[in-house]
Amino acid sequence: MEEGPTEIKPSRVPKIDKIINYKDFFGEYPIIFAIKIISSLSLIYVISEFYVYHSPKDSLLTKYLGDSLKGFDPNPEVFVPWGFAAGFLFYIFTIFKGRYKFFLFLIIAGSLGGYIADPAIDIQQGEYVIPTNTDVENSETNATQWRWKPVKLVYDDVEGTNDRIDDVSVRLTNAIFGSMPFLGAYGIWKRKGWAIGASIALAIIIGFLYTPNLCLENFDETFCGYDTKQDEKTWSEYLSSGIFIGLGFVIYIELSYAAIKYENYAEQFKPAGLDISLLSKAQRKSVSKTLRTLFVSYLINLAVILFITFIIAEIVININYYLSTSDGQIQDSIELQGPYGIVFTSLIFFLLLGIIRMFIGPDNKMEDA
Amino acid sequence: MWSKKAAAVAGGAIFLTLAGLIRLNYLFISAGLVMLTFVVISSFLDVWMPNVKIRRETTSDNIFEDGTMSVKFIIKNTGLGIGFVEIYDSLPPQARIIKGSNYTLLYMKPWQEVSFEYSLKLPLRGHYHLGPVKMRVKDAFDLFYNERIEESIHSFSVFPQIEVLEEQVITSRAPKLLSGAMPLNVIGTGTEFYSLREFVPGDSLRSVNWKALAKKGKMMVNETVREDVMDVILLVDAREVSAVGGGRDTPLEMSCRAAATYAKQLLDERNNVALMVYGDTIDRVDLDRGEHHLFKILTALSSAKPQGNLKLEIVMKDLLPHLPSGSPIILFSSLDDDHTIAEAFTSTISRGFTITTISPSSLDFEERMKRIPMEPLLIAKIERDNMISELRSFGLQVGDWKYGDNVNTALQEI
Repeated sequence: MEEGPTEIKPSRVPKIDKIINYKDFFGEYPIIFAIKIISSLSLIYVISEFYVYHSPKDSLLTKYLGDSLKGFDPNPEVFVPWGFAAGFLFYIFTIFKGRYKFFLFLIIAGSLGGYIADPAIDIQQGEYVIPTNTDVENSETNATQWRWKPVKLVYDDVEGTNDRIDDVSVRLTNAIFGSMPFLGAYGIWKRKGWAIGASIALAIIIGFLYTPNLCLENFDETFCGYDTKQDEKTWSEYLSSGIFIGLGFVIYIELSYAAIKYENYAEQFKPAGLDISLLSKAQRKSVSKTLRTLFVSYLINLAVILFITFIIAEIVININYYLSTSDGQIQDSIELQGPYGIVFTSLIFFLLLGIIRMFIGPDNKMEDA
Repeated sequence: MWSKKAAAVAGGAIFLTLAGLIRLNYLFISAGLVMLTFVVISSFLDVWMPNVKIRRETTSDNIFEDGTMSVKFIIKNTGLGIGFVEIYDSLPPQARIIKGSNYTLLYMKPWQEVSFEYSLKLPLRGHYHLGPVKMRVKDAFDLFYNERIEESIHSFSVFPQIEVLEEQVITSRAPKLLSGAMPLNVIGTGTEFYSLREFVPGDSLRSVNWKALAKKGKMMVNETVREDVMDVILLVDAREVSAVGGGRDTPLEMSCRAAATYAKQLLDERNNVALMVYGDTIDRVDLDRGEHHLFKILTALSSAKPQGNLKLEIVMKDLLPHLPSGSPIILFSSLDDDHTIAEAFTSTISRGFTITTISPSSLDFEERMKRIPMEPLLIAKIERDNMISELRSFGLQVGDWKYGDNVNTALQEI
């Protein structure tokens, strides 16, 4: 028998690039992907450190909601990684395409609805799996019969429902604290500057509303997690840790900004709305090489500047410490040990730097001048 | 100069410090001071503007409409300046980049030479230039920057597109000394058959038509059309009214493309061609021949701009005394807004010139852009048809060139 020409049927399984824009995730250049990962790590570090010094238990939310919400216990070890994961997963959701994104949305909405409504809606179980072919009772011929048990929705678990409402409320309040890593993660991976800016603004707001030991003024030790008022750290301890948090924020801002900047640089070589790069392989290699050179130079600059910044900050603190502890008229006349003292010392230092800058560094005048 | 980012970071740092003072939050104070220190230290990195030498290598200095030009941009740092440099090679607004990019960001080292390539396409004829080059030197964190414009200009021309003509319709009654490829309507040496006549002594045996001999029983010879060199005058209407439409779809653009096509064909056939472009003045390229002359004509066509409102009669009065008598004139005009057309044509014919008109219809552009209501448009079309019919009734050859047609289609109408 002769075999006819075999017809190649198109596969019914859709290609991965029709489902998800995975190229957006990995990018065209590995170095940009690496920048995003480093930036994400710095985000997690800086926010975790931030919450070490700004305990959510001492926030206004705890003060006003702590009593009314059963199980309210905002824990940075929980909401920071989960907030970051949520931001990252939200980004993943955005790169799904067309109907797949819609299906995913339906699944998420359904799961969420099921989670909220689960205790409220109870399905009454019958004695058979529905439908079931069962023997007919008192039958001489071993006859069988399909039996149907109607499904009944019963609202009967009031306590469970109230617990679930509390649980949702607690999670929502945690989401307020967790929105910082959420926005940061989304901003880094989706290359949205506004989201990165919003995460920093949120940190400032949360820090601004933070009051040390506020929890103990309203709740007992068991709830707050510490039995006595926390020992006041010395200002130099706070300052030292503040320097690391400040440096962490600078790293986070700089790296996420660099990720956006270099991604935009690579994007310009693509035609609008298309994935395929206009560059040939050789040109792509050249762009990749340029990016690598740029990024290495950038990292060296960043490391040097951060090191100098750290040294200068330490010098300022130590000078301030020396002035505030040494005998003399300066210590008597100004409160150098307080926050005003450190700001004052810093301003003097910046003044000196400004004077130095007048003589060192470029002075790019107009050519005509 | 401070960038927006520097202002934002410095502002945020000052806010943090002040907020720390208000709330007695040491973390805010120290974080704010760290960020402020970061900005101040970065200001020392505000690098010197490097001295650079720029050159461009292009595939061609001149291209045709819709043609592609590849540019290799080479920049060399001739000093010790170092830093992150953004380079933007300014392009004409009409240019479309089809490959690569005219922008780059690089870390420039002393004495380093860097290059990048891009290809661009220009859809419209004209004279253009690449450059000047905008340079921005900045620190690694985009906090401070300095800008400079390098006056490195590379000029080039975009010539009107040339089509291949499928037929020859221009004829002359004025033979020249040199033979060429242009058929005259007189008997002479050529390749195109004209008529049969009886053999007379002296005729070459090669011209004997042997089939006619067999049929008529007497010697018959073929006569051919004389082919000769001509002086052809191309007259392009570049008045303001010829800019109706937009982009490539204007009577002037179509006229320039057609004139370029004719010029190429006529010069390829070793004719002398002159070009006159009239608008507010008459720009001339005198009669000549050869590749170099084609370049001159194309350059002149690239320079044509829609301006002025010189009437055809005045143009003809000015031109005709200087033209070789009997030379064919080819006019490219939409024939709009000129009440002297009939008089101009009459005086031209009466002086023994032949005139052929290729007329792109500006009404088609108006219709396409929907700027005229249907009824007035219909009336205008009828008026135009009447005018063309009237001109044809004088024995003139007028090609009504519709939008979307190529030059060949317009020729077939003549």
